[in-house]
Amino acid sequence: MIRMSSEYQDYLRDESRSTGHAEHIAFPVCEDDVREALGQAAGCRVTVQGARTGLAAGAVPRGGLILNLNKMNKILGLRYDDEKQCFLLRVQPGVLLSQVRRALHDLSFDISNWDEDAKTALSLLRKSGLWFFSPDPTETSATIGGMVACNASGARSFHYGPTRDYVEALRVVFSDTSVADLRRGREMVSSGQFSFQTDSGSIVSGTLPSLPLPQVKNASGYYLQEDMDLLDLFIGSEGTLGVITEVEIRLQPLPASIWGVTVFLPGTGEALGFVQDLRTELSPVAIELFDHRALQLLREQGHAGNLEDDHHTAVYAEFHGNAKEEVRNMVFRSGEIAVRHGAREERTWVATNYHDLERLYLFRHATPETVNSLIDRRRQRDPGITKLGTDMAVPDDELVAIVDLYNRGIKAEGLEAVMFGHIGDNHIHVNILPRSMDDYVRGRQLYHDWAREVIARGGTVSAEHGVGKMKVAMLRDMVGPKGVQMMRDVKRIFDPSGVLCMGNVFDEDVTVGEIS
Amino acid sequence: MRIIVCVKQVPATTEVKIDPINNTLIRDGLEAIMNPYDAHALEEGLRIASRLGGKVTTLSMGVPGVKEMLLDSLAVGAEEAVLLTDRKFAGADTLATSYALAAGIARIGDFGLIICGKQATDGDTAHVGPSIAEKLGIPHVTYVQKIEEITEDSLTCIRLTDDGTETVWVQLPAVITVVKTINTPRLPSISGLRKAQNAQVMAWGAADVSVDEEDIGIKGSATWVIKTFIPSFLTECKMLEGSAQGQARALVSELEQRGGIPW
Ligand SMILES: Cc1cc2nc3c(=O)[nH]c(=O)nc-3n(C[C@H](O)[C@H](O)[C@H](O)COP(=O)(O)OP(=O)(O)OC[C@H]3O[C@@H](n4cnc5c(N)ncnc54)[C@H](O)[C@@H]3O)c2cc1C
Ligand SMILES: Cc1cc2nc3c(=O)[nH]c(=O)nc-3n(C[C@H](O)[C@H](O)[C@H](O)COP(=O)(O)OP(=O)(O)OC[C@H]3O[C@@H](n4cnc5c(N)ncnc54)[C@H](O)[C@@H]3O)c2cc1C
Repeated sequence: MIRMSSEYQDYLRDESRSTGHAEHIAFPVCEDDVREALGQAAGCRVTVQGARTGLAAGAVPRGGLILNLNKMNKILGLRYDDEKQCFLLRVQPGVLLSQVRRALHDLSFDISNWDEDAKTALSLLRKSGLWFFSPDPTETSATIGGMVACNASGARSFHYGPTRDYVEALRVVFSDTSVADLRRGREMVSSGQFSFQTDSGSIVSGTLPSLPLPQVKNASGYYLQEDMDLLDLFIGSEGTLGVITEVEIRLQPLPASIWGVTVFLPGTGEALGFVQDLRTELSPVAIELFDHRALQLLREQGHAGNLEDDHHTAVYAEFHGNAKEEVRNMVFRSGEIAVRHGAREERTWVATNYHDLERLYLFRHATPETVNSLIDRRRQRDPGITKLGTDMAVPDDELVAIVDLYNRGIKAEGLEAVMFGHIGDNHIHVNILPRSMDDYVRGRQLYHDWAREVIARGGTVSAEHGVGKMKVAMLRDMVGPKGVQMMRDVKRIFDPSGVLCMGNVFDEDVTVGEIS
Repeated sequence: MRIIVCVKQVPATTEVKIDPINNTLIRDGLEAIMNPYDAHALEEGLRIASRLGGKVTTLSMGVPGVKEMLLDSLAVGAEEAVLLTDRKFAGADTLATSYALAAGIARIGDFGLIICGKQATDGDTAHVGPSIAEKLGIPHVTYVQKIEEITEDSLTCIRLTDDGTETVWVQLPAVITVVKTINTPRLPSISGLRKAQNAQVMAWGAADVSVDEEDIGIKGSATWVIKTFIPSFLTECKMLEGSAQGQARALVSELEQRGGIPW
């Protein structure tokens, strides 16, 4: 443990741009280091950190110890699972998504500490074409541990599902330093009952309540079903139940042909019509939106690229397949659908190879990046304001109504805002960009009003970024006081002293873990 | 004006990987793409053609599979594409490559401007553009980052130099090689891809262009690869401590010892 000093200032914040405080920081390199740090910190608050790219302040400390896992960054091994017919990669939690991608792309791993079985699996992998890990949050400097803790997802989750679907096993260290080794299909919760053995041989058992899940993409609160894998409880628990010290992720064969297309529609209504037809008539793996304000912001901030002045709304769709002809055909058909909604085929951007896809991804990443740097500049003038970024999803049949609600709200309040993101899942990020404290206050109110509407329509207040410390009140509205109480009770089973990641998911218990 | 753009197919990576055993480039398993600089060359050609009126012809030398890349060039708006492909061209170094390309250009004929990339991301020599110009006996300008003005007879452009830029006026026909900052290349559109699907690439062998077979391919190459390796740029870092004055003095003496101070 190191005493905090100005040198570690950066570790007090994450990409939500909010700042916390802490007394100590530790950079464990292995699970034993994690246990030692938790042992030393006994009774104090502990905040777990990955790469701090989180947008909900989950990694922002509220006193006590920061447990930063960046140095647990080794890819530990590989195996082939005959039953599931896939490769599984075992990693430490601090491994970055970009690191996994690069290793799989180059088929190059640091195998100095791998056992013989893992090396054999690697030779097999090298003969088995390219494989990939599908979860794709836009920020590739996120850690795998952070992605699991938030159940992160990305554009391709529209087809492939969120991180949860690709986690096969976890090792979790609890605040009392005991360790659980959890594997999908092994430690099961049955009619709410669970039981597992820790490394020290003691049996932990108990009863879990169940919470109804919204029927949309979701990363809000604990995953609690009557019958489930116990492992699923820890995925998306945002560091509040235990420290994830090892993850086994499932890989899939990379489709031979991946094409992406960006289509420009003449208005919002046309864009929504296009999206709805696209998802019923074809099977894209991703559908992403850039509204007219987002395109305008890119132009204003000098990131227009080849954007033309009269491009109104853009929709990106991606298609995967094993034959080029099949994928090309889908892209051509998406063009026909777009034409029905007022687009022109000659004004589309198609990426037919990896290199060009990267360009379309960069364009997509440019929107949140541009927003963040704009807000950073405004904060220099007005430190009180932050970006107000929503992360809510609604069911399919509410898409048109919710976009209309967002647009009317922004207009009525005269706010500056952009909308972009995962429209395939009816999961649009609205980013309100306050120009003043007054904007900020009205924007916050608007956001809360929207959240209530989203909940009333069967949606979720966080579909991928997690609740963190920013959306605690909204989650309370979503699951009710009883729901919050259930989650608190669950936390008490695994973290009886309540020290882990205080303030995430629900309000902190103010009596716990104050440093003397 | 007819504009000819030379496009080369390269492996889709910026990090060239070298086989440690036989020191050759590892090209297996990598997707092949148009040399990124050539995408900028093509874009500039298309922009000039739409401004002045005219058409763009793309030209490449390579294996028959390079046809796919040339179809992509038709999808973004080139009007015709020519592939020089023949076993006899194989193994060419930059001398033989530019000789063959110049012969291809001569056969296409009637050109006002030839645009190449600054360099290819695999061979990396930046020889081919200027070398084509020499073979054709026309002027060339390298590292062009902006075309200020262009007419049927001449162009004015800004080229990068080590310590700034130069504005150059050149009579056409000429060869220019371009850097990436010159433009943002367009991606193909769906309608472009539809058109390219039914388009043809002209494939020419050695016999179709007037070349001396002694001067093409491996026979015509003046250089052979003996060894390929990644140059090592070893840097060391030394921390100086003490007072600001002490550190400044220590820095000066370090620089003196290493010959880093010109006075
Ligand atoms: C430009 C930009 C774009 C983004 N786009 C997306 C997107 O498309 N989709 C998406 O889902 N997210 C996105 N994010 C958010 C962020 O990248 C994800 O939430 C990511 O999963 C966070 O990973 P991290 O390693 O940075 O975690 P951190 O921010 O460090 O932590 C996030 C939470 O996880 C907990 N945690 C971290 N590691 C562990 C561990 N080993 N054990 C237990 N708890 C842990 C922390 O306590 C915290 O609560 C984006 C962020 C940015 C800046
Ligand atoms: C030392 C050396 C030895 C080589 N030996 C061999 C060998 O034995 N066998 C072999 O197959 N290859 C070999 N090559 C590769 C190949 O001959 C060169 O890559 C080729 O001559 C082009 O040179 P470059 O890649 O350096 O292109 P540059 O001169 O860097 O390219 C500049 C521009 O010229 C144009 N251009 C270059 N090549 C072509 C092309 N083929 N078609 C159309 N336009 C083009 C493009 O516009 C490009 O942007 C060798 C390369 C080097 C450097």
